[in-house]
Amino acid sequence: MASPPSDHPAPADRPVLTVDGLHVTVGHGRTEAVRDVSFTVRRGEALGLVGESGSGKTLTCRSVLGLPAPGVRVSAGRIDLGSTDLTALTGRQWQQVRGSRLGAVFQDPGSYLNPALTVGRQLGEPLRLRLGISRAEARRRAVDLFAAVGLRDPGAVHDRYPHELSGGMLQRVLIAVAVSGDPELLVADEATTALDTVVQAEVLDLLDRLRTERGLALLLVTHDLAVVAEVCDRIVVLYAGQVVEDGPTAEVVTAPAHPYTEALLRVAATGDRRRGLAVIPGRPPEPGTTGPGCRFADRCGYATDACTAGPVPLTPAGDGRLVRCLRAAELALHGAADRDADRAADRPADRPLDRTEVPA
Amino acid sequence: MSVLRTTARAPIARTALAVLAVVAVLALTGGLLAPLDPLAQDTARILQGPSGAHLLGTDYLGRDVLSRLLAGTGLSVLTAAEAVAAAMLLGVVPGLASVRFGAALSWISLRAVDALMTLPFTLFAIAAVGVLGNGLHQAMLALGVLLAPLFFRVTRAAALGLDRAQYVEAAELMGASRSWILRVHIWRKVLPTVAVTTAHALATSLLAVSSLTFLGIGVQPPAPTWGGMLAGDLGFLAQQPWAPALPAALIMLTVGALNLLADAVRDAEPADAVRGAGPADTAVRKEHRDGLAAV
Amino acid sequence: MTLTTDRPAAPPATGRPTEEPLLRIRGLGVSYGTGARVLDGIDLDARAGEILGVIGETGSGKTTLARAVVGLAPVTTGRITVDGTDRTALRGRALREARRAGAVQYMFQDPLRSLDPDLAVRHLIGEPLAVAGIPADVRAERVLTALDLTGLDRALLDRTPGRLSGGQRQRVALARAIVTRPRLLLADEPVSALDASNRNHVLRLLDRLRHELGLAVVVISHDLDSLAGVADRIAVLYRGRLVEQGPAEAVLTRPLHPYSALLAASAPGLDRTRRAGLALLRTPSPAAPADAACVFAHRCPFADADCRELPQPQPRGADRTAACHHAPAWREHLSR
Repeated sequence: MASPPSDHPAPADRPVLTVDGLHVTVGHGRTEAVRDVSFTVRRGEALGLVGESGSGKTLTCRSVLGLPAPGVRVSAGRIDLGSTDLTALTGRQWQQVRGSRLGAVFQDPGSYLNPALTVGRQLGEPLRLRLGISRAEARRRAVDLFAAVGLRDPGAVHDRYPHELSGGMLQRVLIAVAVSGDPELLVADEATTALDTVVQAEVLDLLDRLRTERGLALLLVTHDLAVVAEVCDRIVVLYAGQVVEDGPTAEVVTAPAHPYTEALLRVAATGDRRRGLAVIPGRPPEPGTTGPGCRFADRCGYATDACTAGPVPLTPAGDGRLVRCLRAAELALHGAADRDADRAADRPADRPLDRTEVPA
Repeated sequence: MSVLRTTARAPIARTALAVLAVVAVLALTGGLLAPLDPLAQDTARILQGPSGAHLLGTDYLGRDVLSRLLAGTGLSVLTAAEAVAAAMLLGVVPGLASVRFGAALSWISLRAVDALMTLPFTLFAIAAVGVLGNGLHQAMLALGVLLAPLFFRVTRAAALGLDRAQYVEAAELMGASRSWILRVHIWRKVLPTVAVTTAHALATSLLAVSSLTFLGIGVQPPAPTWGGMLAGDLGFLAQQPWAPALPAALIMLTVGALNLLADAVRDAEPADAVRGAGPADTAVRKEHRDGLAAV
Repeated sequence: MTLTTDRPAAPPATGRPTEEPLLRIRGLGVSYGTGARVLDGIDLDARAGEILGVIGETGSGKTTLARAVVGLAPVTTGRITVDGTDRTALRGRALREARRAGAVQYMFQDPLRSLDPDLAVRHLIGEPLAVAGIPADVRAERVLTALDLTGLDRALLDRTPGRLSGGQRQRVALARAIVTRPRLLLADEPVSALDASNRNHVLRLLDRLRHELGLAVVVISHDLDSLAGVADRIAVLYRGRLVEQGPAEAVLTRPLHPYSALLAASAPGLDRTRRAGLALLRTPSPAAPADAACVFAHRCPFADADCRELPQPQPRGADRTAACHHAPAWREHLSR
């Protein structure tokens, strides 16, 4: 495993979350949509799970949370939270794990709150039940939590109903609920996707701060590579249900090892219009329709006959990186830094504000 | 539309459709299939059990029960259908119109429907027959008027939800007329709901015809109907305890098939078309239950 | 692939903006019921062959702006003219006739809700023409043209929206919008629900269509990245006010309004260095007066007593305005 960036606390030895050889089937066992996905998240570490729609990132995330959609089942593999195997839990055991050891935030915060109760009560009541504290004490803790997630005037927010708060505030409330049980792992499933740019940046900063302050392990699931690049130490790139690349963010972003990662990086930022708006040709394969070889081969500019001949294994590529590509060693793929270098070289006088103008 | 297609594929719906097809054939050809004259009395053989001459026995006037059942199908189904047709006309059209054509019409039609729903069924039928004269069509019209609020409320609820649908707004932006929007966008969505309501209303009116005939309103003796036979046979329970079971079984079979079909339509609904009208959909269901409870 | 328009007044499809703006908004104010103004004092132009990006957060009034242009929002003050015709004055039959002519098209944010789930693609795209009474054979041909222009496979013609992917649905919505050969297209968050690759597909399409059809396109978005690659000019809305507008490159790289700067600095990037000026831009000024008229003063790091007076959009260089008393002086604080 790679060492995380120095500004975050060093991870403890045992991973908080270990997903090992996860297989998930959809359509009541008919189709395998996630195949042999493995990754670990350590204490204080943020891991980004990236992929297009249909890549299996949501299925993986829902399996970790024990909230599979109808017809979806974990068919093989283990998901360990600490030393608890989550795949073996009963409904009652799940409730204990979700409330205290596992927190989650989703894309649409409004739908996870009861419109008829104040948000303070929805945070405070579970606290009272779990800790057996008084009403006043629960209120005090709830207000503290609201302050901790950066809500201005937390006392007033406590007595508001969900419809009186903006989307960004609701997402902060849900984050407060998620961390109220002092979880080991916080899962954010497209949690900032629907938010306004300014609010999104603030919520990302909040998640980053929480994991530093509380030593949270963070699993961020998103289709937006830029969001992952902002927050995560490591990136796991999923394509058609398989891990195609796994490595430290800085390395993956600047020097991707898999052609799909390179393609994602190319389409991720549209800032420079002279390079055109890049697209990835074709569409990801439907689950269960792939041949034996590389699943990205038909959309890949570097594919050879060997790529489709047989299974491509996930192999180490140095620096704690893993890649599922036969040609990884010979290809020199372009990362985000190359693009920025191009931009800087082409137009030194006209650089974006804050990216280069103001020194970090 | 796709709702109806999905419905037709469900096995339970197929069984119901088969039963209804048989009933329809009987309704059209029942009189011809009857082995004997359904009106011919044979006072020498009253209230007899099944025999070679009378397969299902005879009634209290010595008439052949099988022939009367077969010949009565047409009249029974026709009267029920007539009532439902009247109810649909009086319910669906104002229901759609009340949503699309302004607040005034909406207010007036809602008040009218509220008033109608407070009327007790039997009393209203007797009053209508008293005013319009006793006869089949008058009675069915009265029944239709009373069933109309069911259609009105169900249609209105469905259309109300759809009226705020974005594709309706999109059509308005194309410059589509109100009747275009009704025809192209709303009607298709309302249709499954109307189909469900129709099945329930048909069942209700089949039974209502029986109870009206029981009171001597509507169909006049000696013309045979299922409801009329049921009413007549009930008077001779002591002599022939199983006789009412025959028309009752036919009524139950038809009503049951209609209800099964209606359920199948309703079950097919959420799986397919009404995506995007989720809240409206549940509103329709609720409205539907309330409407049924009111009848 | 080109589309020849049969409208004689159509501008040459060069993609170069012509001088007279096609869409001209002056002093626009919108309010619902007796409530506060959703939009106030908006002056905005869009020229043929140009893509105007409108950016703002939830509640900034950006969707209302587009809806006002097509007559779906109550205009209380001001005028909106398209091609010299006052759209705000249209009522009843005249409005319906103008809509049937299809010169102005609005693309709703969510195609799953704005496309009738029961209609097949061919009927969805053809509906604006059918409503306008165009004969079926002409209609079929123009539906195919629109389908080709938006890069949709003809095999999809008989599918319903539920059986299309998100990107395909967005293109169907786009095909429906261009089938009437409009002069002005207003697209509300056309790419916000799409992943990056599909987003770029649709943006490229908009870029091509404005060249080939000589369209004026207004793209509304909450996401700077969606606009950066495609818009010629960008207008920034905040709480119903136009705080800045100008050439895209200039607004994004050298914003003249603190809110534009905050937006630009907040956009997530792959290079992980953007946070530099962000902390300053996020910190409200302690000198901000409680009774400020400027809509951004309560969040502005540079607000002072001057902000009691409402800043009007002032010309700042060519084709550019900013509504800030301290523009461009505030920018010096950034580099400190």
